[in-house]
Amino acid sequence: MTQDKLFELNNVCKQFVKGKEAISIFENLNITIKKGDFLAIMGPSGSGKTTLLNLLGGVDQPTSGEIKFDDDRIDQLSEGQLAKWRSNNVGFIFQFYNLMPMLNAARNVELPLLLTQLNRSQRQQSINTALELVGLADRAKHMPGELSGGQQQRVAIARAFVSDPKLLLCDEPTGDLDRQTADEILEMLQLLNRKFGKTVIMVTHDPAAAKFANKTLHLDKGQFVEKELMA
Amino acid sequence: MGTILSQTIAVIIMNIRSLPRRIWMSAAMVLASAVVVAILLAFLAMAKGFETTLESAGSDDLAIFLRDGSSAELNSVISKEQVSLIETAPGIVKDSEGSLLSAELYVIVDGIKKSSQTEANIPLRGIDQRGITMRKGFQLTKGRMFATGTNEIIVGNGIIREFDGFDLGQEIHFGKNTWTIVGIFSTGGNVFESELWADVKVIQNFYRRGSSVQTIRARIESIDSIESIKAFIKNEARLNLEVQTESDYFSTQSKSLNYMAIFGKVISSIMALGALAGALNTMYTSVADRSKEIATLRIIGFSNISAFFGTLFEALTLSAFGGLLGAFIAFLIFDGMNASTLGGNFTQVVFSFKFSNDLLVQGILMALLIGLISGVFPAWRAARMPVLLAFSNQH
Amino acid sequence: MNDLFLIYKNLTRKKLRLFLTSFAIFIAFLIFGAVSALKGSLDSGIEMSADNRLVVVHKINFTVSLPYAYVNKVKQIEGVKDVTHANWFGGYYQEPSNQIVALAVDPASYFDVYSELIIAPQQKAQWLKNQTGMLIGERLAKVYGWKVGDRIPISSNIFSHNDGGHTWDFVVDGIFSAEEVQTDTGYLVFHYKYFKETQTFGGDNVGWLVLTTKSSSINEKVAKAIDKEFANSQAETETSTEKAFNKAFLEQLGNIGLIIFSVVFMAFFTILVVVGNTMVLAVRERTNEIAVLKTLGFTSMRIFKMILAESLLLAFLGGLTGLGVSYIVIKGVSEQLARFLPNMVLTTDIVLQALFYMLALGLISGIIPAVNALRLNIVSAFNRG
Repeated sequence: MTQDKLFELNNVCKQFVKGKEAISIFENLNITIKKGDFLAIMGPSGSGKTTLLNLLGGVDQPTSGEIKFDDDRIDQLSEGQLAKWRSNNVGFIFQFYNLMPMLNAARNVELPLLLTQLNRSQRQQSINTALELVGLADRAKHMPGELSGGQQQRVAIARAFVSDPKLLLCDEPTGDLDRQTADEILEMLQLLNRKFGKTVIMVTHDPAAAKFANKTLHLDKGQFVEKELMA
Repeated sequence: MGTILSQTIAVIIMNIRSLPRRIWMSAAMVLASAVVVAILLAFLAMAKGFETTLESAGSDDLAIFLRDGSSAELNSVISKEQVSLIETAPGIVKDSEGSLLSAELYVIVDGIKKSSQTEANIPLRGIDQRGITMRKGFQLTKGRMFATGTNEIIVGNGIIREFDGFDLGQEIHFGKNTWTIVGIFSTGGNVFESELWADVKVIQNFYRRGSSVQTIRARIESIDSIESIKAFIKNEARLNLEVQTESDYFSTQSKSLNYMAIFGKVISSIMALGALAGALNTMYTSVADRSKEIATLRIIGFSNISAFFGTLFEALTLSAFGGLLGAFIAFLIFDGMNASTLGGNFTQVVFSFKFSNDLLVQGILMALLIGLISGVFPAWRAARMPVLLAFSNQH
Repeated sequence: MNDLFLIYKNLTRKKLRLFLTSFAIFIAFLIFGAVSALKGSLDSGIEMSADNRLVVVHKINFTVSLPYAYVNKVKQIEGVKDVTHANWFGGYYQEPSNQIVALAVDPASYFDVYSELIIAPQQKAQWLKNQTGMLIGERLAKVYGWKVGDRIPISSNIFSHNDGGHTWDFVVDGIFSAEEVQTDTGYLVFHYKYFKETQTFGGDNVGWLVLTTKSSSINEKVAKAIDKEFANSQAETETSTEKAFNKAFLEQLGNIGLIIFSVVFMAFFTILVVVGNTMVLAVRERTNEIAVLKTLGFTSMRIFKMILAESLLLAFLGGLTGLGVSYIVIKGVSEQLARFLPNMVLTTDIVLQALFYMLALGLISGIIPAVNALRLNIVSAFNRG
């Protein structure tokens, strides 16, 4: 069974201009990512892995080249179009959770739903489902400040998939957590990948975390080496 | 990690270094403090100037007689007969000519104010040479005294400052009467300098007062003389006069304008509260902005006392600077500024805003108070900042 | 949850900051409302002046009296409609410190000239018959609680009664009011005849004359004619419009009023600047969250609107509360100061001005962070944090 392509990057170049210098992150990057992949992107700091994640998430634009998502080009979209695309297709999970401190868990999870057309009871249902899945239904009313790091990250995960995006992008999701909690998080990501068919792309520097993925991409100085792993 | 002092100094230096990043917050702090001090000083200087003008006019060794029930010189009427009776009253100093009395008239004329080019009331006092000698601090600064029985007039310094058309040698017209200005006088900056003086008998004539006057001033032997004079008046049915020391008279006069001073103080206090809230808010924000650095310092080992004093020092410095700025601006704008307003006699009282050194001290103290209040609470927060913030990505 | 909820949550995030900011705005607008109303009350004499009323005073000064004979002479001048006259009584009630504005007037003509005053016809008729009667203004009646029929002694700090003493007995025959709230009703009027016949100085003098012209367009002509009539006489006159006269009188309060008001308004603006500054900074602190929202898919414009709405909400919250309290303060102070000042009112004009400043505060302090949020680049925002 051939998997469909989710992402196709063709000759992607990315440069940053710092003062008078142009620093090249990628030159002619070509990658294919298939639907249902759990991809770990690894590499030393400065290798461009976060930049790659940003490009895949429509948060940044390449200097040149094509990025295709589901056969549609996203590298030429306007900011407004990208915003819409992100809200429909991507869920983000950050190293430092990035929850809104003044909203409780349920409301944090509700945020992406404000970008949809769902009515109140429909939203409520999605929130409940999401929180149950991450095992925090009983903490729905708690503020982020009252939750542990692992719990906050789980809320963040719930927020990431509550509007059922095809793609989950994670930037060092376990970087701030202890071993045991990290494993719990990674298991959850696996669950979302295997049971719900979400494509998960995770940037990490932790080899143990990478073991949860089924593919690894090593980036070094803008070039990569792909390795397939069996989970 | 060194003494508390050296830690505090290190914190202060760190704060100063990060100041450029927080330039707007610091500027707001300075501005809030400057405004409060400026307003406070302006109103204090105004009240002071007014007080000085009125109170320095009154003398404890002069008694002033007004008709019973008159609230001001303008309203009073005293007959020649009554003046003669007063000459025989006890407690009045006598010289070679008899009791040292001055029977005076007080009428109102119009002058054009320099500032607004509109008309305003000016007192024209009918006085004789004897009465002039009784005025403490009287000095002719230019020209000469008016000659008795002529339509010559001398002008107070305050008039020269505030009004047009009263130059030496000029002829002025009030209604149908013409006067010539022959001299300019000063009385030490008090309310008499806002007056025009001319011969009492000429004014009686021009204003058809017959032989009546409006007030009597008498040099008294001591303050206790007032009581004996009061008894004297009570016994004499023909005397429906009130007597008090001149200084008492003027302090009553200034009471009605106390309202303005009170109003000023109330308003500036309320404004100060608002500005204080702004300053406090600014300092809190300022501390929050630096929370990571403060927490980092504390992790390294700086004591929380140093964080406290370092922050407090910053607040005090900014507000002190603002206070100086505010005081300076207030001084520039207001010092010596002539203000005038309606006095109890419906005439213009001219006074200057008075900036003294102790006013400056008050201003600085107020600024430091602002700095203290707006600094101590955020400083406390800085001292108790959870150290883990150093590791956090969030504020 | 919706955008408004998010705004609310952002505002209440730091309760102390919200309180301090709102408090400062509250104070600023409280002062603005109260001081503007005070200024308005002082200026109201000018505002409430009638277009076609002229005041005739002695050229030397309005405290010098004019001959009674002038009244008829002025009546003859072309363009003059109604003429009345008044004498300043220097009144007080019981204590010299309880000063009362009391005028000895010509009863037949006073209310013709001051046509904006309202008096019940039977009260006026009663007063016309009763020489010791007086009509008191509504505000004055309120201050002392006087009612129709009360016997009130009013004293003078200038004149003496030929019975001895300085007190005249009066009966309250009526209470007059005015259509406009700002028209002063804090004084009383009584019969000139009663005054003339009982005061010790004698002489047929009036303090000043007030007249209406047939049309305001001929004001200047009539004024000139009147002054010409009495030029070169023993008592020369100066005639001006009521507005000009009141204005000149107010000018005599001097630049003191101007200074006080300027200072207060300056402080008002400074507070707004200081507060606006904190509002800008408050949003800047949330750069990270704004980046997250953008990442989730919130459009820049949506976030822009939310930030602007937030600062507008804050400005109006503090501002309306301050204005509301100033309304209460004004009412209270107005009653306390009823003796000295005409009514202090929070006019529509003041309210509109205040609303404008609230709007300006909200917009200006909101626009800067809102634009910054609009232009925020997600990548660099995350790099910074």
